[in-house]
Amino acid sequence: MKKIRLKRRQPGRSRGGDLGVYIILILFGVMFAIPLVMQICQAFKPLDELYKFPQTILVRNPTTGNFKDLFVIMGQSWVPFSRYIFNTVFITAIGTAGRLLIASMGAYVLAKYDFPGGRKLFAMITTAIMFNGYVTQIPLYLVFAKLGWIDTYMAPIIPALAAPMGLFLMKQFMDGLPDSLLEAARIDGAKEWGIFTKIVMPNVKPAWLTLIIFAVQELWNNAQSTYIYSEELKTLPYALSQVTAGGVARAGAGAAVGLFMMIVPIGIFIFSESNILETMASSGIKE
Amino acid sequence: MAKKRKPRNLRRRNAITGYLFISPFIIGFLVFLVKPMIESFRMSLSKVIIAASQKEGGNGFIMERITTWKESNYYRAFFYDPDYKNRLVDSLKSMAIQVPAIIVFSFFIALLLNQEFKGRGFVRAIFFLPVILSSGVIVGLEYNNTLMSGMKDIIAESGEGFSITASLETILRTTGIGGKILDPVFKIIEGVYDVAIASGIQIIIFISGLQTVSTSMYEAAKIEGCTAWESFWKITFPLVSSMILVNLVYTTVDFLMRTDNQVMDLITLKVNPQMEYGLSAAMAWSYFAIVAAVLGILSAIISKKVYYYE
Repeated sequence: MKKIRLKRRQPGRSRGGDLGVYIILILFGVMFAIPLVMQICQAFKPLDELYKFPQTILVRNPTTGNFKDLFVIMGQSWVPFSRYIFNTVFITAIGTAGRLLIASMGAYVLAKYDFPGGRKLFAMITTAIMFNGYVTQIPLYLVFAKLGWIDTYMAPIIPALAAPMGLFLMKQFMDGLPDSLLEAARIDGAKEWGIFTKIVMPNVKPAWLTLIIFAVQELWNNAQSTYIYSEELKTLPYALSQVTAGGVARAGAGAAVGLFMMIVPIGIFIFSESNILETMASSGIKE
Repeated sequence: MAKKRKPRNLRRRNAITGYLFISPFIIGFLVFLVKPMIESFRMSLSKVIIAASQKEGGNGFIMERITTWKESNYYRAFFYDPDYKNRLVDSLKSMAIQVPAIIVFSFFIALLLNQEFKGRGFVRAIFFLPVILSSGVIVGLEYNNTLMSGMKDIIAESGEGFSITASLETILRTTGIGGKILDPVFKIIEGVYDVAIASGIQIIIFISGLQTVSTSMYEAAKIEGCTAWESFWKITFPLVSSMILVNLVYTTVDFLMRTDNQVMDLITLKVNPQMEYGLSAAMAWSYFAIVAAVLGILSAIISKKVYYYE
């Protein structure tokens, strides 16, 4: 191995230390990457190779046949496939943006204001995180039915906005903001909303990343078949799970589906990682 | 913050802003979480009969209050159901080992990934992959796709196939160092893959926390003659201690609530093919109570130690 040249070496660390870091990262990195590599390769494997046992990680004779199959199946579907894609993108985008805003607003006052009931409220919210969502499905259905939201976009979007985990995360990050920063803004005449949008939010950008990933992950993958019956309102995961339900004959297309579904969350991660995490500055206070 | 005696109108203003900002969340929280939870609690106390008619104000369900303890769903869950208690104990036990392991591992990796080196973005992306792979779609696809489960086996094999682990184990065992004491250690080593796979989000949370620590602090510490080791324990650790709390809560919840957890599996089973709504609600509520108690104690201890930067 030739010399590993670093952009800026941490002071006080030897070259041996650098090498150690690299070795550990490579070791774990390989471990983490194996499933992905395999997932990608699966999508390009011809059928006979898909059913070979023991399975190989890498593909021998790559083919694009699986994708062709998938597109043929997509083309045959009753509702145009773009509709499914639109539904999913729409639900994911609105749900994520809304959750970020609502959770941050709630978290801001819980972290930085002293108001009656605030602490109790926070305790309640954190406790609710631990509740098993599965059993509430039926009662939730009844709530939707009463509101007339069954079979509308409301059912998947609105409840997603008030997810307690997002608020919990944001609050923990906002607790770390120094109060003097807010006081300084207040003295300079900033209004509450201005403090929130111009000072608090930019300072907790790394928390956005986590929340966005959480939300996109959850909403993008949610089949939502419980509350939605109309075919035109159904989402991509649902449509794609129908493709894979076809059994052996559709195994190839199914592998292609897996790859398809991964692209967006990975894309979101890479985008937000470079745009949000890296722009983070210090707390902005000089003592 | 000086908190001696706030003028009354400041307190009132605080309260108004507070409620104003948090109200959208509270409304959603009450309607879509608290109400269904209360409803399911009622279910857990009653015998749920599914009825098609909507006449008597019912909405497809009729709930009959159970009055005797012996007939109650909770009693049935703990004393009649053959699996529930065992699965509960098992999953709490493995939680006690896995959760600390996950937190330590992800903190370690986050520290490494927070360093500056070439290709950092790429490496970070790799460490995020398990989050995507363990997500809903893939898990959902597994049911329909035998290939996915085949793939899972391969991953498990390649993960545990590290010969280092096995040889280390035999060496340690033959040298006669107490097997019992080392058992949890081996469990962790064997489960390294499980741990690594489950740490994706935790790593991100830690990295985000590390990003908020200002570099000028390290510079100041260095000028004062602080070694890297000291500045880790005196600066990094206290400042990200709140993230340890977050990760503790998240990891525990994630571990106990994921769909492949044994208890969750049982609860789901009771609802879906068996239609035992009352019983499953009772199981869910008692599980919830136990988890909440465990987490409550843990976070009460940890939050005492958490340091907030003022």
